[in-house]
Order: sequence, then C-alpha cells, then structure tokens
Amino acid sequence: MKTKKISLAAPHSRRAFIRNAGRAALAAPLLFSPEASPGAAVPAPQAREAAYYDKLSDKKVVCRLCPHQCQVADLERGSCGVRENRGGTYYTLVYGQPCAVHVDPIEKKPLFHYHPGSQAYSLGTAGCNFNCRFCQNWEISQRRPEQVQSVKLPPAEVVRQARGRNCPLIAHTYSEPVIFYEYMRDCAALGKEKGIPNVMISNGYIQKKPLRELCRLLGAVKIDLKAFTEKFYREQCGGTLKPVLDTLLTLREEKIWFEIVVLLIPGLNDSREEIEKMCRWLARELGDSVPLHFSRFAPTFMLKNIPPTPPATLQQARRIALAAGIKFCYIGNLISDAEHTYCPSCGKLLLRRLMFSVSNEGMQDNRCRSCRTVIPGVFA
Amino acid sequence: MKISRRRFAKTLLLSGTALAAAPRFPGLLPGAEAERSIVVQAVSQRLRRQDHDIPRAAAREFLDRSLQAITGKADPAAAWGTLFARHETVGIKLSCLPGRMLSSSPGLVAAIVSGLEAAGVNSKNIIIWERSSRELEKAGYEISRTGQKTIGSDELPGRGYGSRIAVAGSVGTVFSGIMESIDALISVPVLKDHDLAGVSISMKNMYGAIFNPNKFHANRCDPYVADLCSHPLVRGKLRLAVCDASRVQFHNGPAFFPKYSREFGGLLVSRDPVALDFCGWGIIDALRREAGLPSLAAAGREPSYIRSAAGLGLGRDQESRIQRIIL
Repeated sequence: MKTKKISLAAPHSRRAFIRNAGRAALAAPLLFSPEASPGAAVPAPQAREAAYYDKLSDKKVVCRLCPHQCQVADLERGSCGVRENRGGTYYTLVYGQPCAVHVDPIEKKPLFHYHPGSQAYSLGTAGCNFNCRFCQNWEISQRRPEQVQSVKLPPAEVVRQARGRNCPLIAHTYSEPVIFYEYMRDCAALGKEKGIPNVMISNGYIQKKPLRELCRLLGAVKIDLKAFTEKFYREQCGGTLKPVLDTLLTLREEKIWFEIVVLLIPGLNDSREEIEKMCRWLARELGDSVPLHFSRFAPTFMLKNIPPTPPATLQQARRIALAAGIKFCYIGNLISDAEHTYCPSCGKLLLRRLMFSVSNEGMQDNRCRSCRTVIPGVFA
Repeated sequence: MKISRRRFAKTLLLSGTALAAAPRFPGLLPGAEAERSIVVQAVSQRLRRQDHDIPRAAAREFLDRSLQAITGKADPAAAWGTLFARHETVGIKLSCLPGRMLSSSPGLVAAIVSGLEAAGVNSKNIIIWERSSRELEKAGYEISRTGQKTIGSDELPGRGYGSRIAVAGSVGTVFSGIMESIDALISVPVLKDHDLAGVSISMKNMYGAIFNPNKFHANRCDPYVADLCSHPLVRGKLRLAVCDASRVQFHNGPAFFPKYSREFGGLLVSRDPVALDFCGWGIIDALRREAGLPSLAAAGREPSYIRSAAGLGLGRDQESRIQRIIL
C-alpha cells in the first residue's frame, strides 16, 4: 500500500487528499510480510559478535549497550533476550534477521517534520530492553529470536529493497532498535552512503557512547518518553527515566533531528502535574522546536483493564505543552485538528494530516508561505 | 425456559463426565493437612554419573524408595499411582541449558518414565520436554515425536507459544503450549548455582516454560520465580520435583565449570518445590563452605525468591516445617 508522496509546492485537491487518507488508513501494521522479504525463513538465530560489551572473569560479560548493563554468565542472555554469552564472547542473535518488514508512511512512526509524506522501508527484530505492560507489539518485542519467524535480510539487501520499493527512508522500528544495534548501525551506514537516510524509532534506553556513534549515521530519531516519573518506568516498563532524559539531551547536543511521543495512559501518567513538569523540562532543556506528540492509549497486552485515553485528556495535555512554549504539539491515534502543522508565528495551516496522509496547505520549502517563518525539521 | 427430557439427560451426562474428570490430586503442596513437607535426600556412590549419566536402575530404586517415603505406600507402583492417574498426560520438564555435563540425566528421566508406567500411565501420554529440541539433543536426548514424546517446546505450532497472556503478580508471560496440554508436571532440575538467582533448582526450572524468562532476572529473580510458580498452570499441575544432584555446580552457574562442580551422587525428591529448593540451597552453601567460598547470602546472592514463594503459600522454607528423610 502506497501513500502518494506529497509535493510541498502544491496543495492536494480535496478528493486526492481523502483518497490518500483512505489508502493510508488501510496500511495497517503488518508484523511479518514474506512478500516484502526476499530471504527464506531462518530456522535458528544466527549469531554475530556483539558491539559494546566487556569481558569479565569466569567467562562472564557485561553489556555496555543499554543502561541495564546486564552482567551475563556463560550461556545466558541479557534482559533483551537477543544477546547471548557463549563461552565468554557476547553475540547478537538478530543481526540481519528481522521478523517484521513493511512499507509505512513516515507519519506512522510518527515523524511529522522529517520528509513528510514519504514512505519508509520499516523493519524490526524480536526483542526489547523494556517490558512495557502496554506494548502494542508485544508479540515480537517480548519474544526471543527463536520464537518468531524471521527472514535473512542483510543491510545491503535492506537498502536494495528500500530502493526497489521507492522508499526514500529506512525505519528501524516495531520492537526496540537499540537491541539490534549492530544491524541498525550497518544499515544506517550503508543507507547514508547510498542516499537513503535511516531513522530510529526507540525508547531511548541506550548508553551515550553507542548513541553518539549512531547519531553520525542516522537521519532522525523518534523517542518514546513513556512518562515523567521513575515510578512509572520502574513499574510499567522495567526501566528507568533518567537515561531516557540523558538520551534526549545527547540528541540535542548531536544536532540530529528528533521528535518525542508520549503515550498518555489514564491514571498512570496523565496527571496535569506530571504533564506540566514534563513540558517545562522539555521546553527548558531541548528548546521549543522539538515536536511533541501526545498519543492515545488503547488497551492491550497486560493493560487491558484500563480504558482508552479520553480525547479531553489529550487536548488538555496539548494545551499545557503549548502554554509551556512548545511550538509543535500534536495528538496521535485520534482524528482531530491537532494532527496538522500550523505556523507558530502567524497560525496559518501548513500541513494537513488525516491518519497517515499529508497534504501541503501552506509551506514553501521549509517556510511558512504566508509569513516566511522557518519551520524546523527536514522537508524534502 | 423449559428443558427437554433429551437435553436434560445430555446435560446430566456432561456434568457427570466433568465430575469424573475433575482432578483428584492436589496441586503443588502436600496439602494443608500435612504438618511438614517431606523432602527425601539420597546420596550414594550408585547415583554418581557414569559417562555423564546416572545408571537407570539405581535411579529407579532410589526414586521408588523416595516416593514410598513420601506417600507412605509400601508398593512402589502404588506410590507412583498415588500421585499420577492412569488417564493423565504427564509432562517431565528437564533442565538442559548447560549441555550434557550438567543437564537432567537421561538415566534419571528414564527411571521417572518407568515409574509412571508402573503406575499405569500410558507411555504415549508422557512428554519429556525442554524449551528446544536442540537443547535436549545437546544434553544427550533423542528427539521422539510419536509414542512417548521427547520434544522441545519449539516444535509446537507457533514455535511453542501462543498468544494467551498469563499474568501472575509481577510476571506477565505466555506459557509453552506443552504446559497447557498436560495434566500433571514433574520438574527435573539439576542442583546448581545461578549467577543472578542464587540457585536454580525446581522452581527456577519453570523459567523454561515461558517465552520471556530474560525479563525476570532482576533482584535475584525475586519475586518473579515465586510469582510464576503461583500461576494456576504451574501451581495446579506441578506434582513432583525430582532434583538431579548427581553432579552439583556450587559456584559460577548456571553453565558447567568443572572447577566449581562436585560429583555429589545425590537425588532430592519432594512434592513441595519450595522445601526442595530450600534443602538444595543448603547443599550448595555447604559445598561452597567446603571450597572456601562465601555463602550465597554473604556473596549477595541469597535466593530470596524461595522465601517469597513460601510467603505465597507455595511450600515451606523453614527447617521446622520440613521433614528430611535421608536414604
């Protein structure tokens, strides 16, 4: 399913816009697409030595990739379930073996200020370094490589496939790209060389050193900021907040384009106080130009007893963000005017969105056509 | 609403069948009526590994004596029959991660199978299993997909795991399809130290029955092991724990390190996995002491999940509530 690429020079007709919106809506997540994958099914995970780990005594290793810093005894795996100690050498079991491959609009990630209207060749492997009780992709993120059907798709093939499907972008997404770091890194390096930027859709739970290396190769990053309390991270995700905030600061320092998504879950992370505190921190530490998306929760996995987020909660969160000085705040998983991009200076509608379709209403290059204000982001 | 005579008879018949099929065996515990949990400990030269395996005949003899002691039945077949019914499907969950040197011994497992058969359990209804067939083969087992089965969970549809989410306390997971298909379970761990958990014995062995064990190793697996074993699929089916202590890894587990292993020639049997794990922990600490190593508690690796499991009522972890029978 393709979404017609927008032309930033001309607005869509109403009919074309609605047609594209309908097509995009049909492009539901497909976790495994043999059609999109050239390789044969892999019977058992292939191992490749991992990056970022230290060897310890008695054949133990300590992983330096993410803040868990798992100490892993021989034959054991880290918390992610995809990195294994074999005799004192640490291996990744998912290199070149995605279990989810699909072509998605970049708006689905969501990245709203990065090549809007483009298609992203999207892939993910089994495993995650979090165990969020509300994970919508838990059937791959919480599984181990041997428990999913994967395909062989080395980086060169990823780039070739992306090009063959007219995708100007490659997205590492669905589960948690940090845990397939080596694969993502090599795809990103090759993509950069071939003119196909890679983006990472991540929880931001990564150590600074590997993140900095990655920033030199990626085109953009989207970070899920799960909440603004350590309690939520500890109880709902199996992680901690501080390293995620550190990641956001590092992304700002590295000057890579990034956007932030916050999934608001009723009763768990949607209090006015928490959102105010979060927005103040974001505006103060990251500036006013980082797009912030508040996303609507839908009951899933282990949180089936909590209702979907009321629209009023999302709208209130957006008002708080705008009041805190954040210039671009969106609401996701809910059709509303808060999906569109408006000029922060004159208020004119610039990009109209419906589901994952986008049409240019008032932008010229990267400026507001009306008042010439520069809109931050990367607009093709 | 009026019910027809035919429908009434059919309903009656169905409810009768349901009653007949209702489990007549208590689950995990020896029953609230018992004052103390029995743990049988056997240590013998005859239980030492020969060519990495316990001799089957010796294993069967000690198993029979253990079950006789636990059930109070003089006849071995009757003792096995006290715990397992003829019509039941019995799963035997092994521990095969470290390969042949430190996995559940095939000789011991064969002895368990023969005990079940003596009780009248149809061999076709016995499933010897682990997470993967590959692990079983590495531990010296021959995969068998028909008759009495020896298979990895990964051979089942969906690579062993469906989509039914099971939640027990802090644990959210999906169980192996084998756990869903069996009536009764025997946990057959190896007695070993575990780098993160402290010890890995009969309860920790249940990590091999779920799809995401890697998520539950923080805080020395506490309370995760206990929570997992409190799930009805485990608590309601785990009927016997048989710990292979022929070779004990008392440090640096769960992999096999000859430097820290001992040819112990032991066997632990209990219906109470908490009590069995408590006793196993004691043996590991004793061997550590002999080797000049600090106790697990002193090393900061006390397996506190055992206490948590006792707190959940899954078994007993106090010396005064455990009756040790030494063979």
